[in-house]
Amino acid sequence: MPAEVVTTSKVLPRFFAALAQPSLPVIMDLGPIVGPNVAFLGERFSCKLLIEDFFAEVESAARAGSAEGLLEAFDRHLEPLAPGSVDGVLCWDLFDFLDRGIGQALAARLTALLREGGVLYGSFGTTPVQLSHYTRVFFESDDKFRTRPYPATPVKRTVLVTRDINRMFEGLRVAESVLLKSSTRETLFRKA
Amino acid sequence: MWKRDEAVRTPQPVNVPSATPTPEPSTPRADVVRQSERDMVNIGKSVIIKGELSGSEDLTIEGQVDGKIELRQNILTIGPNGKIKAQVAAKAVVVLGEVHGNITASERVDIRDNGSVEGDLSAPRVAIADGAHFRGAIDMQRGGKAGETRPTEVKSAEVKQMPVAAGATAAVR
Repeated sequence: MPAEVVTTSKVLPRFFAALAQPSLPVIMDLGPIVGPNVAFLGERFSCKLLIEDFFAEVESAARAGSAEGLLEAFDRHLEPLAPGSVDGVLCWDLFDFLDRGIGQALAARLTALLREGGVLYGSFGTTPVQLSHYTRVFFESDDKFRTRPYPATPVKRTVLVTRDINRMFEGLRVAESVLLKSSTRETLFRKA
Repeated sequence: MWKRDEAVRTPQPVNVPSATPTPEPSTPRADVVRQSERDMVNIGKSVIIKGELSGSEDLTIEGQVDGKIELRQNILTIGPNGKIKAQVAAKAVVVLGEVHGNITASERVDIRDNGSVEGDLSAPRVAIADGAHFRGAIDMQRGGKAGETRPTEVKSAEVKQMPVAAGATAAVR
């Protein structure tokens, strides 16, 4: 299991800046619950947070050995939400764990949920390795986050080139895209 | 009831010299502590309540409650053995046990290590410990404008709310 790492992000500050615009923003986090992040976002934005933990669904599918039903599981989380009702989505590295078809379908659903001007943050691995851990991300400040790995049923990472990532989120435009030293591409999308 | 008699005893002067050892004097501070102890109520492990629970005292629940809990001016603590299936409204809510249902607090919600909540939280401050389980939405929109928040859910989601029978009363088994 990799050690905890503190990373400087050039993209997250823009994500936070975009959320400062709407009053009482609605933020959806597709990662697991991280208590300090709830306090961080609450203090910062006086927001509504939707904690969905899609990684738990991915893990259930990985243990079952089949991605069948995974999209339906995502839909159960997303269906209650009205289109255009979300100001920001934190996807983290979720798409590394999804095959292209499911990733494409999920991206379309998330795009529909974003309001105009809303932002979506994702990170995309660039090396085709076996993934054996998920990552819990802790905000340390606007531009620094700490990553803490936790075990995953191993799956092969889905590697998407930049062009594929941009196509996947059709309807959103890339506001910022940075390749980190960890060979991970951080991308911020904005709905025009 | 012995506690009640003890609590109304006139406080003795603290610095009265005495040749013989006396029991611990009842200081004003001790009285305050006793008063606050009397204002806290515990619902024990073996107690099951179905219906509506409301009051004006701090409450600790170690048993089971199904229905609705309202302590608008007080602190509700769900103890490690507490199992709640209810809509909860209180000044502050501390969760060490399990809650299935929405929690609304005017001050804060605190989900401690090993605490578990499946439902939506609405409070200006929310603290969730590292080992806690939570699934749902967290509304930290301050300023008492809950009714003014932008709609997030489509109307069909309203069926998710657990109906509570009108006029339900608490029954202790």
